[in-house]
Amino acid sequence: MAKKIIIALAGNPNSGKTTVFNNLTGARQHVGNWPGVTVEKKEGTCSYKGYNIKVVDLPGVYSLTAYSPDEVVARNFIVEEKPDAVVDIVDAANLERNLYLAVQLLEMGAQLIVALNMMDEANSRNYRINVEGLSRLIGAPVVPMVAKRNQGTMELLERIVEVAENKVRVKELVINYGREAEEEIAKLERLISQDGEFSRKYSSRWLAVKLLEGDEEVIKKFKEVKVG
Amino acid sequence: MDRQEILQASEQSLAHLRSIYSDEAETVVADARYGFISGLLKDVLKKPPIERLTLSDKIDKVVVNRWLGLPLFLAMMYGMFQFVFTLSVPFMDWIDAGFGWLSELAAGIGGWPGSLLADGIIGGVGSVLIFIPPIFLLFMAISVLEDCGYMARAAFVMDRLMHKVGLHGRSFIPMILGFGCNIPGIMACRTIENPKDRITTILINPFIPCGARLPIFVLLAGYFFAAHAGLVVFSMYIIGIIVAIIMALVFRKTLFRGVSGHFVMELPPYRLPTIKGVLVHLWERGSLFLRKAGSIIFSVVVLIWLLDYTGVLEPIGRAIAPIFAPCGFGQWQAAVSLFFGFLAKEVVVGTMGTLFAAEEEVLGGAIAAQLGWTPLVAFAFMVFCVLYVPCVAAIATIKGETNSWKWPVFAIFYTTAIAWIAATLIFQIGNLFVG
Amino acid sequence: MNQLIPLAMVSSGEMVQVVDVRAGFGLQRRLADMGLTPGVTIRVLNSQMSGPIVINLRGSRLVLGHGVAQKILVKKV
Repeated sequence: MAKKIIIALAGNPNSGKTTVFNNLTGARQHVGNWPGVTVEKKEGTCSYKGYNIKVVDLPGVYSLTAYSPDEVVARNFIVEEKPDAVVDIVDAANLERNLYLAVQLLEMGAQLIVALNMMDEANSRNYRINVEGLSRLIGAPVVPMVAKRNQGTMELLERIVEVAENKVRVKELVINYGREAEEEIAKLERLISQDGEFSRKYSSRWLAVKLLEGDEEVIKKFKEVKVG
Repeated sequence: MDRQEILQASEQSLAHLRSIYSDEAETVVADARYGFISGLLKDVLKKPPIERLTLSDKIDKVVVNRWLGLPLFLAMMYGMFQFVFTLSVPFMDWIDAGFGWLSELAAGIGGWPGSLLADGIIGGVGSVLIFIPPIFLLFMAISVLEDCGYMARAAFVMDRLMHKVGLHGRSFIPMILGFGCNIPGIMACRTIENPKDRITTILINPFIPCGARLPIFVLLAGYFFAAHAGLVVFSMYIIGIIVAIIMALVFRKTLFRGVSGHFVMELPPYRLPTIKGVLVHLWERGSLFLRKAGSIIFSVVVLIWLLDYTGVLEPIGRAIAPIFAPCGFGQWQAAVSLFFGFLAKEVVVGTMGTLFAAEEEVLGGAIAAQLGWTPLVAFAFMVFCVLYVPCVAAIATIKGETNSWKWPVFAIFYTTAIAWIAATLIFQIGNLFVG
Repeated sequence: MNQLIPLAMVSSGEMVQVVDVRAGFGLQRRLADMGLTPGVTIRVLNSQMSGPIVINLRGSRLVLGHGVAQKILVKKV
């Protein structure tokens, strides 16, 4: 019996996410719609070392602030379905903006693997990226890749299996939002942690930050009547 | 702990933070995240002290230049169609030869099976399949434009113009995609956040002549305007775009008043499209076309042959035909073609192929001889085909994207009305000059 | 010369610092997500009077419509 792993692919538009998806799944793809919204849902499968890996391609987004249906879909999948691993495709030649999504994924407590794509472009611009250093600072595996030449796919699969098998745990990232904001976050976090259902299901800190961001989707969650 | 209380506490916290950060409170979180990223990049990313201008920046100096941008875009579109037509000719000749051979073979069978094969299937499906080369090349050219990063530049270049009709540059991308097929065009409207902008952009997309209408243009322009065929085909695209833009303006002044949404878009770096990437794209869209040709077109063509063979088709056509008399093409064959074209635009040519039992090569001549069409009538007919009712699949897509039957039904009627008015005007006014 | 001017009025090639984004909640949030927050330094790559502009923001190229660029107040650096 092949062991099943579910992973999600996240990434900015133009980060080469589709290429990575094609590299992983080949022709075994299925295109549909996410329930209730007009956002395309692409799924595929991939076999690796006796594992049956289901790859869900999330819509390409810059952020997870629930601004657009794309962002809501991407975030809900990660928060509610809790895939075994989330692969964030990052453009190595445009790290600053691309890591913004990675940071948000880490704050959500996702089991993140950063696929550092387009290393060739970064090299041709003479960017020197310390891959181990980046991995250490964000606390998640980082895999350098050139997806259009199918380079790095095997290493990515290896990391996916490690993370999915809990051999590597990715810790929730805590960003310091400044003294005043942190005081308020701590206050809300304490309140949320008393809510059994929410604190079991979600990170209390993440919910607190989202409330302070005025995130409509999260506020909606709080407004829903508690069942049971 | 009650969740309502948590919400109240969060509102208090937010109010407190607003009093400290004034109106920047909303961006504090984003700012802190970017601060964290800049901090870590100082440690792990070494950029060269002086960054050279990237190739993308250099190309952009020309491509999005205020004066050069628009002419360059038009040249690009013209070049794209030239590329598609020139390259597809030899392939079309091969397919044509293949079907000619098959047709002879089938005619040898004789009786109704021979007629079904030769006239119905080979005449009908063959006259559509011969357009696979230009349709696929068009898909390919559009994929290249998308993958290399030019599409976003086109949106930037056209923003000023789109602004004048109450939309912004992003609404232009679905229009270019519509050249291939209106379905991806309509679906691409998802990236437009403002609902009024979005529905306007969806409703004007069917006017953009898709690849399936190409067979009609090539067939009729090729026969009736021989030397100027290229120009006439190009004019169909211009007419489609102009009507789309006019209708956008009309919608923004009537149904969807109000300011358009904000135009914020990333310009990706230029990238050499990979062959694999283009092929995957091509396959996604091309296989859709092939499936359509294999299912809808095939069954409709067989149905038409059956209705024709049993003598039912002509009365149906004669019943509809008078509607098109003012447009110049009031013959029952034309009416039947247009009627079944609702299922898929390729069917217009496919139906003609079955009715005249002719392949593409001689079909133009058959139409001229048996229907008595003049170049003016052919032109009016082509314009009608550019503008009239979106195909069934496009209608279904509009329904899916707007999540209501209101807009697809509206699209069916308003496009057909505009098509009828435009074709009638062209035919009637043209008649005054041609005599 | 630390006058505030709308980003829409900055000409091509100039470096400016964002001081304030006077936009509604949604747009402000969206721009912040793209990295356009007060304090950030940007280079205007292409400015067309009364048309959209292209800026270099945190290493990526961003197009802003004229209306958006008018809501962003900057000072020259």
